[in-house]
Amino acid sequence: MRSKGARTSSKRCLILRPGDSVALALEDLKAGDLTEFGSLKVRIVESVNFGHKFAVKDIKEGEDVLKHGDVIGRATKDIKVGSHVHIHNIRSLRAGAK
Amino acid sequence: MTDKLTGYWNEDKKAGIRTHVAVLSLNAFCTETVDRVADSVRGVTPLTHEFGRNEIGLNKQRLESSLLKTALNPNVHSVLVVGYEPKSVEEYVAAFRKTSKKRIESVVVSDAGTLAAIHDGSRKALGLVILASEARREPIQMSDLVFGLKCGGSDTTSGVASNPAVGVATDYIVEHGGTAIFSETTEIIGAEHILAKRAINASVAKRIYAVAKANEDLAMSYGVDLVGTNPVPDNIKGGLSTIEEKSLGAILKAGTSKIMGVLDYEEPAPGKGVYFMDSPSAAQAVLTALAAAGCQIILFSTGTGNPVGTAVAPVVKVTANPRTVKNLGDHIDVDISSVLTGDATLREAGKKVIEAVTAIVNGKSTRNEALNHLEFAPLPGGL
Repeated sequence: MRSKGARTSSKRCLILRPGDSVALALEDLKAGDLTEFGSLKVRIVESVNFGHKFAVKDIKEGEDVLKHGDVIGRATKDIKVGSHVHIHNIRSLRAGAK
Repeated sequence: MTDKLTGYWNEDKKAGIRTHVAVLSLNAFCTETVDRVADSVRGVTPLTHEFGRNEIGLNKQRLESSLLKTALNPNVHSVLVVGYEPKSVEEYVAAFRKTSKKRIESVVVSDAGTLAAIHDGSRKALGLVILASEARREPIQMSDLVFGLKCGGSDTTSGVASNPAVGVATDYIVEHGGTAIFSETTEIIGAEHILAKRAINASVAKRIYAVAKANEDLAMSYGVDLVGTNPVPDNIKGGLSTIEEKSLGAILKAGTSKIMGVLDYEEPAPGKGVYFMDSPSAAQAVLTALAAAGCQIILFSTGTGNPVGTAVAPVVKVTANPRTVKNLGDHIDVDISSVLTGDATLREAGKKVIEAVTAIVNGKSTRNEALNHLEFAPLPGGL
């Protein structure tokens, strides 16, 4: 992947845009795996399957979650760096979603 | 792209890339006639459905629109329409002749029953198939083509690779004078602001916000939680969490050029460039609507894979997900998984899509055509 502003890691994963709070796993990741994005190092804390996302910073409950340089939803609980980010801890802000 | 494009110029002075003889039913109970005609005469394209009696309002409008406009698609060489009673058949033929000079024949089942209609219809279809077989390819330009853009079975690879690669192809198409229509109104929710910035003028921007809001309001009026509806379960399994995330990836297939306008359901594009069509999001319904809007070919970006096609316009499946290439490779036309391993750039992947498109325009079969995935879904419910 060489899209503009994207940063890659030795474990294949990707932060799509600078400032994104999540990265994309391009291979299955397990607890303990180390991912690196330049100077940013993220230790994976639980399994993250291919195509799924993990936090590259601590995200507080109620905080917007950023991917593609834009808001993809809001955290429904505190999310620790390295954790799997999905429907169990983020929610859409649209169509009246609570 | 170095190869020249070719197609079939029809009586409407439009370029088809196929020469379908469409055998089209107007009512659910004409299906038997259409299917038996298709059994008897090789090379016809049956178009059947479960509707055609007592529809009202928007349903009636949409059904009539799909049945007529699918037949008007440039890839349709000629039409045999099969209806139950004479009035609806006469009305259909009159509406068709008002806009098209292409050949149309008809059969009325109530004249003498299904067996007689099969006999009569098969003879008429035979004549059309022989005529269609005489059509010859001639040079066409990119500006003679309208591309549909669709994503389906999306996962997170769609947003980072197959949609952007299709977007590279879309930019190429537009730079060379072509037209592209993307659709699925639910799947711009959360990305309206980006599309609105690309709108050619303020009124198009306003309409982009308006159709997205109307779609969102409709979801809310049903009390629908979009999670589980859109994104659907296979999207969620693939890693997509919210409609915003799906939309931000989905719009990348429309490239980076200006959005020239917002079209109604099945409305043909009035000019060149990229248009958005307000429509429901189910794949079979969108493909039917894009073909009805006049798209001769549809680019379909997929993550987890999807076998769906449509009857009159070839559907080109593009995936970047190596697992989909492995598991559903029968349904994949363009494998760009090398983007995800870092072995190809999006630009290279986009070029691969354009090369595939060139071959398919010129007659190479898509997987959906070869596998008889010729879905026709003229009356969509849902969002």
